[in-house]
Amino acid sequence: MATRNRTPLERVEEAIILSVLLAIVVVTVQPILNLLAISLSDPARVPGMSGMAILPEGFSVDIWTLLANHPAVQRGLMNSVFITAVGTVLNVSCTALMAWALSRRRLPFRRTLFVLILATIVFEPGIIPDYFVMRRLGLLDSYSAVIIYKMVNAWYLIILIRFFEEVPEELIEAATLDGANAFQIFWRVVVPLAKPALATITLFYVVYHWNEFLRPMIYFNDQDMWPLQVVLRQFVVVGDKAAIVGLQAMNSYEGASQIDFKAFRAGMILFTILPVLAIYPLILRYFTKGTMSGALK
Amino acid sequence: MTRHDREDRSSSTAGNVPNPDLLTAEIAGDSWPEEEFDSRGARLRDGVREWWPYYLMLAPGLIYFALFHYLPVWEAKLAFEDLRIIGPNLWVGLKHFAQLFASPAFFEVLANTLIISAMKIAFVFPLPILLALLLNEVRSGRFRRGVQSVIYLPHFLSWVVIAGIFIAALSPGDGVINDLRDMVGLERRSFMTESGSIRWVLVWSEAWRSAGWDSLLYFAAIMSIDPALYEAAEMDGASRWQKMRYITLPGIVPTIATLFILNVGLFLNAGFDQVFNLSNDAIRDKIDIIDTYVYRLGITGGQFSLATAAGLFKGVVGMTLMLGAHFLSKRLTGRGVW
Repeated sequence: MATRNRTPLERVEEAIILSVLLAIVVVTVQPILNLLAISLSDPARVPGMSGMAILPEGFSVDIWTLLANHPAVQRGLMNSVFITAVGTVLNVSCTALMAWALSRRRLPFRRTLFVLILATIVFEPGIIPDYFVMRRLGLLDSYSAVIIYKMVNAWYLIILIRFFEEVPEELIEAATLDGANAFQIFWRVVVPLAKPALATITLFYVVYHWNEFLRPMIYFNDQDMWPLQVVLRQFVVVGDKAAIVGLQAMNSYEGASQIDFKAFRAGMILFTILPVLAIYPLILRYFTKGTMSGALK
Repeated sequence: MTRHDREDRSSSTAGNVPNPDLLTAEIAGDSWPEEEFDSRGARLRDGVREWWPYYLMLAPGLIYFALFHYLPVWEAKLAFEDLRIIGPNLWVGLKHFAQLFASPAFFEVLANTLIISAMKIAFVFPLPILLALLLNEVRSGRFRRGVQSVIYLPHFLSWVVIAGIFIAALSPGDGVINDLRDMVGLERRSFMTESGSIRWVLVWSEAWRSAGWDSLLYFAAIMSIDPALYEAAEMDGASRWQKMRYITLPGIVPTIATLFILNVGLFLNAGFDQVFNLSNDAIRDKIDIIDTYVYRLGITGGQFSLATAAGLFKGVVGMTLMLGAHFLSKRLTGRGVW
């Protein structure tokens, strides 16, 4: 932009624009900071805290201790980590292999396969038929059901295909002349070139698995298999207060009688988004680089 | 999207290849070296030899698509059947569809779906455009990136989490919104349980979640506008608003058009995750949409055939909208939905 001196009018305009953006930032983070303040406050003072507060009243990590020792939360965390880790590895490897094969322009039946895959985006028969397929395959009440039901996301597949199509043909030819087979070419030439794209897809899938709650609810009868999101939902959305501070946790923790729903809800929500916050810097680094911005959400 | 066009053009030549029943019929791009392989058998053998590793790579994905995307289409025949515990299901034709279209409940959820989608397009769709325009006016790159790194965050939170945040923030007793209302002398309200306000909760929570992230697409479009246009306009003494009006806005119109059309294509997806987590008994009739209706009917209520019929109805209408959106988008902007 121009470096000439700004007129008073321009300064006012700029001040207004900055204030509006700052207001948007406040609206975005204040509710989260409020939960953080509540979760770190002295439990006795939580009931009187305002929704506007962004600093804790008193200081206590009781809520976090309770959460970390809560059996339902521990199990939920382990389930979530397991499903996310195994699911993402499977997602990324299958999507990448498929995308590489489909990015070869001379692949026989390429167009047919494209149409068949795009058709799955356009027509979705709904959750009930999905449920019956899982039942027919005997996958109900098994982790596999939520791990593989969205093994290859067609949108991410298309993003990767577009990326792989840009891999210079000369590199592939050179590797072929060196005697590399299709798998070696994929592993030694394509994957190193596609690292940013693969990292992006990986992060997409991690966030997707971490945030999934519906399929585990439908496919798992056993509450011990619930991932964190379903546990959170039971506590916060359904308001199942009996489940929140389960009796055993109550008895094993002396300050528990003072802990109310509000504080527990705040801590539980934050607990669930911590991993997302942890990888958020990576997301910013890869997602917003611009390489992917042409692709639709 | 020139790459896209190129691919479409090259693949349209596939129809000109002779012997369309052969493998070669599907090959897009380079033509087959005919001289060396004159017999069909030799061609096939050579094709297999060259491409089998790639089909091995495709195998897991193709099996996945067959099992979890095409098998469900077959299972959807349940909409035309009565489920029986013993013996095969009974074919009943359109019975469940007749029941569906005769029930007032279905038309209520259909109306809710359309109303909520329309509200979101009217009130949420313009926000990321405005946001991108504002961001583009910020001179300090550091400030701009700071704002961006905050406003993208909600997109990566689940609707369970966002529902938790909104339930807390809208709480009548101690939520931030009501504390603010109290401060300026307005009475406290229970937005989550009032039928007059719950749809607005959907609109604003959607805005909170997606306006920031969606602005990324528009911002990228603005960044790709030729800087020479702005320089020329500045030489001519154009003001900030004139540059925005006559350079920036026209520059992102194709992006706006594509995303608007995509939104119309997804019109029946009023937001299952969102409604599912923000709903409660007091206001369910105001925000129950087709997807949540299918869930309640089938997964909770066990009326599998009826629920499948409702889901199929949505699937077919949704498909029509999506295909319409794609071809309209291609026609208007030269760029399809996919």
